[in-house]
Amino acid sequence: MTTVRTTTPAPPPRLPVRDKAAALDRGWGGVSPMLTRLAAERATGILVRERGTLHLADGQVVHAESPSAPGLDTLLTPHGGDPAPGALELCHLTALYDAAYFTLAPSSTPGRFRYGSAVGLDGPLALGAVRPVPVAALERETLRRRDLLHRIWPDPTTDEAPLTRPDRVGAPPCPARRRAVLARVDGVRTALDIARELGRPAFHTLVDVRRLAAAGVVSPRPPTPAEAPPPPPQPLLETEVVDPHITLLKRLRDALEAL
Amino acid sequence: MPGIDECLLEAMRLPGARGAALVDWTSGLALGAVGESPGGDQEAAAAEAAELARLAAEQHAFTADGGTEEEGADPPVEDLILSNRDSYHVLRFVRTSFDSSVFLHLWLARTEGNLALARIRLGEMAGRLVLG
Repeated sequence: MTTVRTTTPAPPPRLPVRDKAAALDRGWGGVSPMLTRLAAERATGILVRERGTLHLADGQVVHAESPSAPGLDTLLTPHGGDPAPGALELCHLTALYDAAYFTLAPSSTPGRFRYGSAVGLDGPLALGAVRPVPVAALERETLRRRDLLHRIWPDPTTDEAPLTRPDRVGAPPCPARRRAVLARVDGVRTALDIARELGRPAFHTLVDVRRLAAAGVVSPRPPTPAEAPPPPPQPLLETEVVDPHITLLKRLRDALEAL
Repeated sequence: MPGIDECLLEAMRLPGARGAALVDWTSGLALGAVGESPGGDQEAAAAEAAELARLAAEQHAFTADGGTEEEGADPPVEDLILSNRDSYHVLRFVRTSFDSSVFLHLWLARTEGNLALARIRLGEMAGRLVLG
């Protein structure tokens, strides 16, 4: 009679995981270790990441730009004349956090840092100095924003895809600000396009679009035939082979199929 | 010509003022904050106040007659007042000439606070903040 060993082998040691609680205690959640290091050494210069740039002065963020976020000029566009200092500061901070949100998005390539002066005084800061934002605050806010979007509607597809309204009948009423977004959903525009047209921050538009998606009013447009991935290449058999035996076999197959 | 902090510091001169913040109700971000924070956590307080402000701003029932049915600079609601056993919260929506979604949040001690005065002053500050 054989005996079966029932002792199970000891489980493999657990893989090390990043201690998120400790990271939060430090005031950052590992959004960008490089940025955290630059803040610690009070660096001045420009951090270039895949989706945008952060300008640092003494380790604090004084300006941010991203192709995914409308700039200060766009946010102020409908404003006639010189904006009041409070309004300018409000817009600048809003634009900074907006661009930083996209700049700090997970990226596939490492960031680069160019030491030197941050944005020049003849640059965007000439419009009005912004209160420098500590890196830890910016990283916390960026994580909070990701979480906010996820809680509204967990599917991020609507963040970048052209948007469409699948069913115009029976759409629930929505507030004026969101209606302005909805009115521009046409199967072509993306959330960023709509943000630019409305002179709103991109993140704010993502929030509205996710709320609309959660309500079932807006969805990402499925790819059109023109944009659909090209069909897989035809098997060689169909196109190039001229072997007479194969030709005969194909004719035989066609004849059998025709029966 | 005040900036954000000057405006908030002015709000703190109101009798009974415990804390003041300028908050964006779409993102929940505090663009500025001075004094104490309700609940002890400035970021959490801003996010929670933003949620309350957003609900008020987005409900059709609270919109003024003939009000901002279409997109415009006018916030649909002027202010929100919340009271509890020991304090008042006044949330004043800020009208801007560009697109925004911000409000001033003033936290007042109930014993010393003067709600009527706070409402009037907050309205004036909101105007000066963005119109100079």
